[in-house]
Amino acid sequence: MQADRPISPSKLSRKDLPWQIDWNKDKCTLCGQCTSVCPVKAIELSVFRKREIKVDLFNSSANESSPSVYYGISQKTDPANACIGCAMCTLVCPNEAIMPMHTDEPDKLRYHSNIGGVPRKRGGRRNQVAGILDRIKFMRISMLTDPALDAGRHEFEVRTLLGRILPPEKSIDFQKKNGWMPPVREIYPLIIGGMSFGALSPPMWEGLQMGIAYLNEELGMPVRMCTGEGGCPPRLLRSRFLQYVILQIASGYFGWDEIIHAIPEMKVDPCAIEIKYGQGAKPGDGGLLMWHKVNRLISQIRGVPERISLPSPPTHQTKYSIEEAVAKMIQSLSMAWGFRVPVYPKISATSTALAVMNNLTRNPYAGGLAIDGEDGGTGAAFDVSMNHMGHPIASSIRDCYSNLVKVGKQNEIPLFAGGGVGKNGNLAANAASLIMLGASGIQIGKYAMQAAAGCLGSETDRCNICNIGQCPKGITSQDPRLYRRLDPEKVAERLVDMYVSFDVELRKILAPLGRSTTLPIGMSDALGIDDEAAAKRLGIQYVV
Amino acid sequence: MSSDNYFIIKGEDESGVRLESRVLEENIQNAVEAGERNLRIYALGQHAIGGRLWKAGSEKINVQIFGSSGQRVGCFGFPNTYIEVNGPASDDVGWLNAGAEIVVKGNAGNGVCNAMAQGKVMIAGSIGSRGMTMTKHNPRFEPPELWVLGSTGDYFGEFMAGGKAVICGYNPQDEENILGYRPLVGMVGGKVFFRGKIKGYSSGDAKLRNVNDREWEWLEENLKIFLEKTDKKEAFEELSKKDEWQVIEAKSPTEKKGTARRSMKHFIEHVWDRELGKGGLIGDLAEVDRTPIPVIATGEWRRFVPSWENRKYIAPCQGACPSGIPVQERWRLIREGKMEEAVELALAYTPFPAAVCGYLCPNLCMEVCTKKINSLPAVDIKELGKASVSAQAPSAELKKDHKKIAVIGGGPGGISAAWQLRMKGHDAVIFDLEKELGGKISSVIPNSRIPKDVLEAELLRVKKFIPHVQVEEKIDRKAFEELKENYDYVIIASGTVKPRIPGVKGGERIISSLEFLRKAKNQEINPGENVVVIGGGNVGCDVATEAKRLGASNVTIIDIQKPAAFGVEREEAEKAGAVFKWPCFTKEITEKGVLLESGELLDADVVVAAIGDETDLSFLPDGIETERGFIKTDKSGRTSDFNVFAAGDVIKPGLLTDAIGAARRSAEAIDSDSLGIDPDEDIREVIDTSRVSIAYFDPRKTGYSGVKDCGDQCASCGTCRDCSICVTVCPRGAISRVEKGNDSFEYIADPDKCIGCGFCAGACPCGIWIMVPNSPFE
Repeated sequence: MQADRPISPSKLSRKDLPWQIDWNKDKCTLCGQCTSVCPVKAIELSVFRKREIKVDLFNSSANESSPSVYYGISQKTDPANACIGCAMCTLVCPNEAIMPMHTDEPDKLRYHSNIGGVPRKRGGRRNQVAGILDRIKFMRISMLTDPALDAGRHEFEVRTLLGRILPPEKSIDFQKKNGWMPPVREIYPLIIGGMSFGALSPPMWEGLQMGIAYLNEELGMPVRMCTGEGGCPPRLLRSRFLQYVILQIASGYFGWDEIIHAIPEMKVDPCAIEIKYGQGAKPGDGGLLMWHKVNRLISQIRGVPERISLPSPPTHQTKYSIEEAVAKMIQSLSMAWGFRVPVYPKISATSTALAVMNNLTRNPYAGGLAIDGEDGGTGAAFDVSMNHMGHPIASSIRDCYSNLVKVGKQNEIPLFAGGGVGKNGNLAANAASLIMLGASGIQIGKYAMQAAAGCLGSETDRCNICNIGQCPKGITSQDPRLYRRLDPEKVAERLVDMYVSFDVELRKILAPLGRSTTLPIGMSDALGIDDEAAAKRLGIQYVV
Repeated sequence: MSSDNYFIIKGEDESGVRLESRVLEENIQNAVEAGERNLRIYALGQHAIGGRLWKAGSEKINVQIFGSSGQRVGCFGFPNTYIEVNGPASDDVGWLNAGAEIVVKGNAGNGVCNAMAQGKVMIAGSIGSRGMTMTKHNPRFEPPELWVLGSTGDYFGEFMAGGKAVICGYNPQDEENILGYRPLVGMVGGKVFFRGKIKGYSSGDAKLRNVNDREWEWLEENLKIFLEKTDKKEAFEELSKKDEWQVIEAKSPTEKKGTARRSMKHFIEHVWDRELGKGGLIGDLAEVDRTPIPVIATGEWRRFVPSWENRKYIAPCQGACPSGIPVQERWRLIREGKMEEAVELALAYTPFPAAVCGYLCPNLCMEVCTKKINSLPAVDIKELGKASVSAQAPSAELKKDHKKIAVIGGGPGGISAAWQLRMKGHDAVIFDLEKELGGKISSVIPNSRIPKDVLEAELLRVKKFIPHVQVEEKIDRKAFEELKENYDYVIIASGTVKPRIPGVKGGERIISSLEFLRKAKNQEINPGENVVVIGGGNVGCDVATEAKRLGASNVTIIDIQKPAAFGVEREEAEKAGAVFKWPCFTKEITEKGVLLESGELLDADVVVAAIGDETDLSFLPDGIETERGFIKTDKSGRTSDFNVFAAGDVIKPGLLTDAIGAARRSAEAIDSDSLGIDPDEDIREVIDTSRVSIAYFDPRKTGYSGVKDCGDQCASCGTCRDCSICVTVCPRGAISRVEKGNDSFEYIADPDKCIGCGFCAGACPCGIWIMVPNSPFE
């Protein structure tokens, strides 16, 4: 922009943007690949002015000043086209000539990402890099005090239970009295949490499901994946792979009529049913699949017309109280599969989670409770919901578990923790922390996208445009021009790698603790943290 | 060997108290040092008997152990040592053995040979768990050997890194599994010969195969020795069937890499798609091709495609011109050396290309010129306007089905209407009170604003072309009705003829700006010493300039708000020395001058009101709608009476160019009526000038040296100047220029080459190329 022009309040310079394109004129070959790939059209070819001045103090030749132009890559500075830092330009540049750099001071774009009075929306996780989970360490190492285990040599039962687990003495009476036993599944403790077909692209969703099937059938790891709220493809419903699937029902009920129609034709029961009440990334807020994503495929799976927006409201309309919400929903869904399938609710972490959990303890049909913490990811949410709403998962899961211990049901109702697990790459350590704080299993989402599909999103606000359908990796887009970049086979391969390595890492944590035959659920004496207040709050040791 | 030759060492003292391991060890070492080479030890569970006997040097030592031998028999055993345990042995037999030969004539506990590096251990029975674990083969020595007659416990051979183990499976503990649970995890070296059934082994680490001839030769020979030493010769026959033996050996590192899982590709083909059907998960719902596409894609896989939008939008200059003159098109013609065409093109839009564009118009086209908004001098239309004075009037024949149109008013609006209608072959006649055509242009605009000869030349051109009837009296209702009856259409372009005078006390002393200017032009008025002009618009400025010209010393322009005057008019007034004063509220006009509400008196010999003029619509029949003293029309100027149009100041006060443009649109509407078609309106929008690349122009240029220079420097917004920069810039060579005949051309991008980078759009000087989303897939 030229200096002699009027400016408006939202006129920003490159300096004001969170991501600044560093373009090297000397290296650039002007091949056009960077501008071609940029998902938000943040860069373009521009004509730059240049002036060459030649002078000669001694007047042996005439002084000269010749204007000319050159071509180069320029960065747009209007908020709508601000660089998101995804670095796809860097990825495709043949000459290392371009790279987005993060600004060295708080950007000014944040004050202008509300043009037209519309607050910023985005995908990803809340922009908070640090987390309590990464600070927890495992310090009760079996140094001669417990059997020393070898993560590589020993066999481990890395399994958990999903469903209402009755203690043996009660279960016999229960069976006699009721002629029924609550269904329980033995599954791998790392679950892929609910991400819908729609929020995810077809190759991403299928890739994850393929990987899950492979882990189960080729490697004997009973990994499960939740559908999220977007229905389930009819073929999957009618295949044996359904047993690896947790079907989610949420406030939009998308695809559920298709699921109901498929029940008589199901070869196997699904693993479980998850009733979604809340999401950690945007607690108390709903979802919206924008009309442009609702193509024919999505519409068929969800059982809706094409090209209409699909809202999942923040609340279910037919639930008026906690008692009713829990009881009614669990009953209906248990009944659909003849009480053979565990049913459990998923809520966002909240200071009121205990109320839900206590309620579940009184409901013999409740198969568990999934709690999603504030660091969870999402495909789309208001920035304010993401950054400022929610409750950390660690203390929420700890509170619930401690309370279960108080009422003596810590082995009966499994808790599943999610929300930012592995957000700094420490998946196994974070998962083990949560297990030792009381979780029976862990739900992940974003991590799987990062590891299995190369998602570029970060908590320093890189990319995070899952909401606009322009995902440069094709993970959250319904546009074949983007999602065909993603090969489901490779997604599946990476998912398998991720699980196998997670399994090794988890053993590397469990073995030194002397645990191999059961998950150390609630084994909080193994945990320590270098923060006294946090230690006190979580009931773990303070170590320095 | 007779027992008499043995040196006896007891594990208890004379009073029958068990010796500590430390003391027994001391006793053994002392005996060896003293030259004893045959030892018989009666053990009571002492630790590590028989190892570390290096004091004998290379001489053989024979250690016979009776009783309970304790853990780690032969620990750190030396090559000179032969140990025989006459009965079962405890844990860790031969632990870290470095060469001793150890025979156990019974079962042995856990950990047999753990970490053994050399030597040979022979067990006449079975062993416990974790036998032969962590064994080594040091290349300096022969590999260590473990011989077990029976079977092994669990976790046999973990991390075995060398040596040979032979498990005979003779009277095993479990017939079904002679190597125990999970044997050979982490095995990296060595071999395990075995005979009998097993339940698996760590296939990631080791591989199973048959015994080859050379191995069998070794095995058979050494089996005899083993059985002899363990007193089990009777088993030889049963054990010497080669077919019953197998060998497990460690995989090499490269072989370990080869133990890949089933490929995902294979899994998808043979498991996934087989269960779900062709196309996998959604193969029934959509045409699925799961193969990936490149990130940099061409053809239908491009996200954005270039579109050559030549002339899709109009240039800002044309968009801003109320007369609708295609300004930029004229510059193009100039650029192409077609001066005459450029000039004549203007006549198609205005009868006054010189008087208005060249002198009287504030040139809105230049205000919005893309060059100007980019801080460069606007392309100067005045130059071209002035050059247009010589343009020749078009010849116009009446066409066969022509219409008759009466135009009321001989000002710019009326002239424009008649001009256009005549050009289109209609019979248009102007009715006006004045003797000469021209209206305000000729009567009230000061000569300083436009050279007389220019105006006369243009008016002459008009007069030659348009018939004019001077009416004796003002047109009244009756006369209007007659016109309507005698003509197919009437166009009212009578302008604002009634001056507006402030309704203050002494208002009768005020003269109107119209009157003042008309008289001034004909030198018929003396403004005196002091002149006050009420109204700070452009007309007020004209009055002030004229007053000064006629000799007034002090001219004050007052206004109730900040004066709205702009452009040349204001500049001229300021140059002449007129003083602007505001806010001023006139209270009264006295003999002395203008008395303001504030009490201030502004001396004035002449007070001129320039606060606008009003229409005189007294002739208008009731059926024609008006609004606040102006005639209501639609976009084309048609009034509520289908055959009556209105243009110019009678519909809304405006600039000359506004009147000219409005009248042209009315004329076009009438012509369209006559043809029975809808008016051919140019509904194109003005181009987004950010598409235009202005960097091509030298920023140091502060003005233009004539019409040719202007033409060259026009940015040609929205119209291709055929520079072919896009062809050069395109990194894929996808763009080419195509001749289309009739002197026209287009640029096209080959979809098979184009990657949608948008370089064409970025480099285009005129903003023709734009990137648009590729058409959506279903």
